[in-house]
Amino acid sequence: MNLSLMTAYVVVISLYVNLGIALYGIFARPSLVKKLLAITILSDTANAFAVLVGYRWPKTGTPKPPVYTNSTFNNQTLHYYVTHAVDPLPQALVLTAIVIGLAVTIFIAFIIIQYYRLHGTVDVRKARR
Amino acid sequence: MIEVFTLAFLMLVSVASVVAAYLAIRERDMVKAIVFSAIQSAMYALIFYVLMAPDIVLVYIPVSVGITPAVLLFVTKKTERYDGD
Amino acid sequence: MKASEVFVLISIIVFIFSLAYITSLGGLGQLPPVNVRVLAQRYLELTWNPLKPFMSSSGYESVTAIVWDFRGLDTFFETAVFYGAIIAAIAIYRGVKITGKGKTIGMSPIARTITRLSIVLIPTVAASIALHGHLTPGGGFQAGSVATVVAVLIIMVFGRKAIIRKGLTKSRILLLRSLGLLGIGFTAVALLLAAIALGVNAYIFQNQPKPFAPLGFPKIYDGMILGGSLLLFNFFEFIAVTAGFTLVLLLLSLDEKDVRRVVVEK
Repeated sequence: MNLSLMTAYVVVISLYVNLGIALYGIFARPSLVKKLLAITILSDTANAFAVLVGYRWPKTGTPKPPVYTNSTFNNQTLHYYVTHAVDPLPQALVLTAIVIGLAVTIFIAFIIIQYYRLHGTVDVRKARR
Repeated sequence: MIEVFTLAFLMLVSVASVVAAYLAIRERDMVKAIVFSAIQSAMYALIFYVLMAPDIVLVYIPVSVGITPAVLLFVTKKTERYDGD
Repeated sequence: MKASEVFVLISIIVFIFSLAYITSLGGLGQLPPVNVRVLAQRYLELTWNPLKPFMSSSGYESVTAIVWDFRGLDTFFETAVFYGAIIAAIAIYRGVKITGKGKTIGMSPIARTITRLSIVLIPTVAASIALHGHLTPGGGFQAGSVATVVAVLIIMVFGRKAIIRKGLTKSRILLLRSLGLLGIGFTAVALLLAAIALGVNAYIFQNQPKPFAPLGFPKIYDGMILGGSLLLFNFFEFIAVTAGFTLVLLLLSLDEKDVRRVVVEK
């Protein structure tokens, strides 16, 4: 087994484990703030998966970020760019997803504070009574 | 040689993110949990950097290491500090 | 350990393993992949391509080109979702007065001095990220998040009242945010309005000239790559994101005593 394949397995497995940890936090921890923290970990892990799917390891050379860095344009530089740059589409989707995720996190934070004002607790087990 | 270093670094960082996420969920003190969560986010930022996503690193570091912990700290200050009994 | 916790653990483990099995069957494919998909190759090829002027975008950066040109309408509605969440958060605090009166509570002189330096440096970095978003990694969303860190720093180190005393009241931040949104909307339809005036054809979210739509934003001016509408979109999104997040953080840092009087006991 070569090193790049092993690294890919380690990264994918750790992302799955993080997914499981975040789901455990959402389902099993009683505090609403801890649930919110677990939701942020979950969304970050999903975003990392999306970026990982768009990654590539070209046969020759190393991968390049999706930014055209040559100031001169000809068919050779364009071909090099197309064959070496990673997929920009998941990055564009994740970029907006992170900022919108932050806005939604802030919205949930406001709702949790309001819940505490009305009920006096953020523990879901106590609030049930 | 550089590739070997990069791959080993990626492995180390992803395992460290698992440890930080586990500690963040297990910790009962919310302030410490938020700090662990910020460490986990920093590890993810390094993963994004190695995966050739400079745009996402630029947006992810301020959002997940700066603003989200600040928001969660405000929420913790206004509500309860300890999770569970 | 109670029975319910065991049940939760087992169901999560089963879920994760089935998800991993499904993705290993066909979701992730070969790891690490050698090639990207054909769609991605098209995007990469058309980001900066003077040979195909009718199809290409106008910047060096593929991510910004996708975000604001190839999939501009997508991002427009995502921005709408973003402001929906922020407006919903503000709606809870309706009627709460934010004043700059009273004593400010702050940190030690060392923290204050360092912060005074960085509240000049961070917006400079943010502006360069926004205005070079079509050439180097960056763009409106990134620059907005970087600039919001300044708001977090000021609130944490100098206290919330320092922002209001500098003249950034709630209504002014709301005005800034609305200006940013209006700028995005206007940039999206600017060419359409110009085309109606000139009697030619144009599309919404058009950047460069297309077949049967001869109008376009300037691509190169005096040897400088302007990026057409990408530059305008990045700049307005920068203003809008910064103002929106600053406003929400300002509300979040209010004293609980003052808020409770209005929100709960009225």
